[in-house]
Amino acid sequence: MKTSVWMLVFCVIAFYSCQKVIEVELNPSSPKYVITGNITDQPGPYEIKITSSINFDQDNNFPAVSGAKVYITDQNASSTDTLTEVAPGRYRTHVLKGVPRHTYKLLVILGEEMFSSVSTMPTPQALDSLYTKSASFGDGTDVVAIYNDPVGLGNFYRLELTIQDSLSQEIYLHNDKINNGSSVNHVLNNDIDVKTGDTITVKLQCIDADVYDFYYTLDQALKQNSAVISNPKTNILGGAMGYFCAQTIRTRSFVFR
Amino acid sequence: MNKLLIVGMLLFASLSSIGQKMYSISGTVIDKATGESLIGATVSVEGTHDGTVTNEYGFFSISLPAASYTINASYLGYARYSEKVLLDKDHKLKIMLAAEGNTLQEVLINDKAKNEAVTSAQMGRENLNVKQLASLPVLFGEKDVMKIVQLLPGVKGAGEGSTGFYVRGGGADQNLVLLDEAIVYNPSHLLSFFSVFNSDAIKSLTLYKGNEPAQYGGRLSSVMDVKMNDGNDQSYHASGGIGLIAARLNVEGPIVKSKGSFLVSARRTYADAFLGLSGDSTVRNNRLYFYDLNAKLNYKITDRDRIYLSGYYGKDILSFGDVLSIDWGNATATLRWNHIFNPKLFSNTSLIYSDYRYKVKVNTAGVNGNMLSSIKDWNFKQGFDYYLNTNNSWHFGFNAIHHSIAPGIISSSPAVSDTANSQTWENAVYISDSWKATKRLNIDIGVRLSAFLVLGGNSKFYTLDDNRQIVDTLQFPSGHVFKTYVNFEPRISASYQLGNSSSIKAAYARNAQYLHLYSNFITSNPIDKWVATNNIIEPTVADQISLGFFRNLKENTYESSVETYYKAMHNVADYKDNAQILNSNEPIEPQLLFGQGRAYGIEFSMKKNEGRLTGWLSYTLSRTELRINGVNDNKWYPATQDRTHDLSLVGMYKVSRKWTVSADFVYYTGNAATFPSGKYEIDNQAIPYYTGRNQYRRPAYHRLDVGATVKLKERKRFSPELSFSIYNAYGRQNPYVITFQTDPDDPTKTQALQTSLFRWVPSISYNFKF
Repeated sequence: MKTSVWMLVFCVIAFYSCQKVIEVELNPSSPKYVITGNITDQPGPYEIKITSSINFDQDNNFPAVSGAKVYITDQNASSTDTLTEVAPGRYRTHVLKGVPRHTYKLLVILGEEMFSSVSTMPTPQALDSLYTKSASFGDGTDVVAIYNDPVGLGNFYRLELTIQDSLSQEIYLHNDKINNGSSVNHVLNNDIDVKTGDTITVKLQCIDADVYDFYYTLDQALKQNSAVISNPKTNILGGAMGYFCAQTIRTRSFVFR
Repeated sequence: MNKLLIVGMLLFASLSSIGQKMYSISGTVIDKATGESLIGATVSVEGTHDGTVTNEYGFFSISLPAASYTINASYLGYARYSEKVLLDKDHKLKIMLAAEGNTLQEVLINDKAKNEAVTSAQMGRENLNVKQLASLPVLFGEKDVMKIVQLLPGVKGAGEGSTGFYVRGGGADQNLVLLDEAIVYNPSHLLSFFSVFNSDAIKSLTLYKGNEPAQYGGRLSSVMDVKMNDGNDQSYHASGGIGLIAARLNVEGPIVKSKGSFLVSARRTYADAFLGLSGDSTVRNNRLYFYDLNAKLNYKITDRDRIYLSGYYGKDILSFGDVLSIDWGNATATLRWNHIFNPKLFSNTSLIYSDYRYKVKVNTAGVNGNMLSSIKDWNFKQGFDYYLNTNNSWHFGFNAIHHSIAPGIISSSPAVSDTANSQTWENAVYISDSWKATKRLNIDIGVRLSAFLVLGGNSKFYTLDDNRQIVDTLQFPSGHVFKTYVNFEPRISASYQLGNSSSIKAAYARNAQYLHLYSNFITSNPIDKWVATNNIIEPTVADQISLGFFRNLKENTYESSVETYYKAMHNVADYKDNAQILNSNEPIEPQLLFGQGRAYGIEFSMKKNEGRLTGWLSYTLSRTELRINGVNDNKWYPATQDRTHDLSLVGMYKVSRKWTVSADFVYYTGNAATFPSGKYEIDNQAIPYYTGRNQYRRPAYHRLDVGATVKLKERKRFSPELSFSIYNAYGRQNPYVITFQTDPDDPTKTQALQTSLFRWVPSISYNFKF
């Protein structure tokens, strides 16, 4: 909502405002490990990706980090899968199967350093239906996802919107702090053009609180919406960035007419 | 305790000079044509060093041994006044000063200015003569005292076009903004591009940069004391103007001639009319405007009693079709009663109401409802000015404010519970003495004792662990005093005159602040959150020492000064990483981190107050740093408002009887900023990686504005004028926002994108009075 307030202010003063790319002298930074990966309730294998950060003025070639020992433990089943590096920086599971309400622990060993993270897969919630409406701001087409939030606090959702083949870069999140236990009409603001005949796909992910916090703070950081500019809150312990997420996925699509 | 002893000893020292038969000369200094009382006019006794300045109601009193005297009175922009007085009993004077005319001849024969800036013990004080600055160029042609304040030494503007300001390294919430004694919580309109002060209704503005007299308190860095005009008590007048974005009308006149008067001043913007021109229907349905109203009445009931009733009401409306709307505004009302007990004792009693509120309405597919947030004050003040003798005038009194803050009263579907209201009392007693210790040494010494009471009710108080997570929640019955903070705030300033036209000054002051503003934005915003001190948010306290050298040149034509200051601030807050300051039920305490601040600098100022060319040059070299537990490894780092260099040059030149031209130039070092030092990849997106807070600088800011005013032909009493101005005349692209993003044309690269506002903004306005 705040973003839209500023959008309007910018509209009003657009007549006077202008943008340009500027040169900023930025300091180099020492590389940090970035670990990302999901376990889902869909069939595996699942993948953990390890890369490293680079200086801001370099090209976007993020170096893959090879040679890590990567383990994922299903703490409810007390079984550990040792992942295999299938491509530089990509580590894949073998037998692990994601089960709702199970807690998974990721362990990454890189030389002397050790990183870990824990994520619990929530109970899946159905994605009931989808429809489109014209955007509240601007001339775009928004997609509305309808799903039911169960009784009981502490449900967190992340949605992904794909129009034809393009994945929206927006981060869509919802939690049940307000409106707990009732139907959710989630408006997904969309800046991708929708043409007749396009397939619109929405993925509903149920995630845990820490992963929600990661995406929420990532969104704030990208939009510079928080009181201070800061890095997103990672759920990886040990000094690496990124996230480890156990999630359920429900998907629905329809063709736009 | 030692400090109290010193105050006591000074008290006795000042009393010991009594003994001779003394009479007093007392009265008021007013403008001859309008009857407006003149604040800070100099009243002096010829051939002696005795003299005084009028108080905020234009009252003065001098005690002298029986003899015959010549009393002089002067005020910048007015002709000098002289009267012979045979003092064999208490004497009352009504001094009427004639404003200098607008013609050049009158300017040239005008009396020379006084050297009050040199002799007064006060330092770190700036007076703005609102009328004198009327011809300065401003954004959209809207005259704005808060924009002019930003051009003074030691004062920095909060950003492009913003009315927010920082004084000597203090935050934007560390300025006490008063309109006829009422606290104005959000002194800005239209997302801070304009201030709430309609310059038609403003008499004077005084800014104290941390060394305020003991009667003021409650903010760390400054007091901006704005006084409204009383209204002409001689004849009816109207004035007004039509500009690019706003129209104004001001009407004033006597209720009973020389006894009472009224003033009503109104303003409305029509910037949103431009939205209607847009072809885009979603833009066309938006609303964005403000209006405000100032009104004042005053009446002399008897020779000794005068009452004033003044009020302000302003509102901003911002809406996006019927989806979202925000309206916000201030309302203040002040009822005052001046009573002269005897020629030496002046009393003022004030009852003040002040209210700031905003309302957000949302109507979307998912959420529907509105939220009202308000801060409401009831304030009772009693102040006495006691003119003990020629060398001592005492000021003492007390002040009690009840603050009631309701962050969010929500009615919505789906239902959300209201946020907790906070109820607090902010009380203070004060006493100070303006003491002429010797012919050359003037001392202002005072103390303010403030007490802040945190009350129960539906406020929630939290206990936090080391990770700033809530471990316990407390609530107390309403009326229960949960916590009391007491602060002893000594204030002392002294000037020592070296010869006729120069002096050195030194000052020390402590200020305590009990209300704080937390914001999700760098610039001021209507939905910023005022929070009262509680068990976790403790009062901030600042100790400031300053030292200055003042010198007037060419018979007071030029005033120059150098002031240095060092300010230490305690219990200052900064935000935790990822903090979100919203008016929701989320407690704010876990999002804050506390530590210390320090600010120091040197301010150079050169002013020319008379002649065809007037204006000033000010330059500040300064540093402001914070050390907060949990930020940047607990090391000192620059505060956002830290700017090394800050330069302002302001000039107005009377070309002829008809034409006045003016210009101002500002340059300052860019704010401290957080920029990324690296980047990394999440879900195929490049994400900026930050290694520390405020470790970078934004590009420097500079801008030139030019303006011209021409007087059109007068007809009878109707005098019109036209003003032209260009804001940012050479079109500098100053940074407003800098974002780091993936290059839209080349996804393998990232870039820094700067957004600038306001290049070459021309304006024209038509003003009249009759």
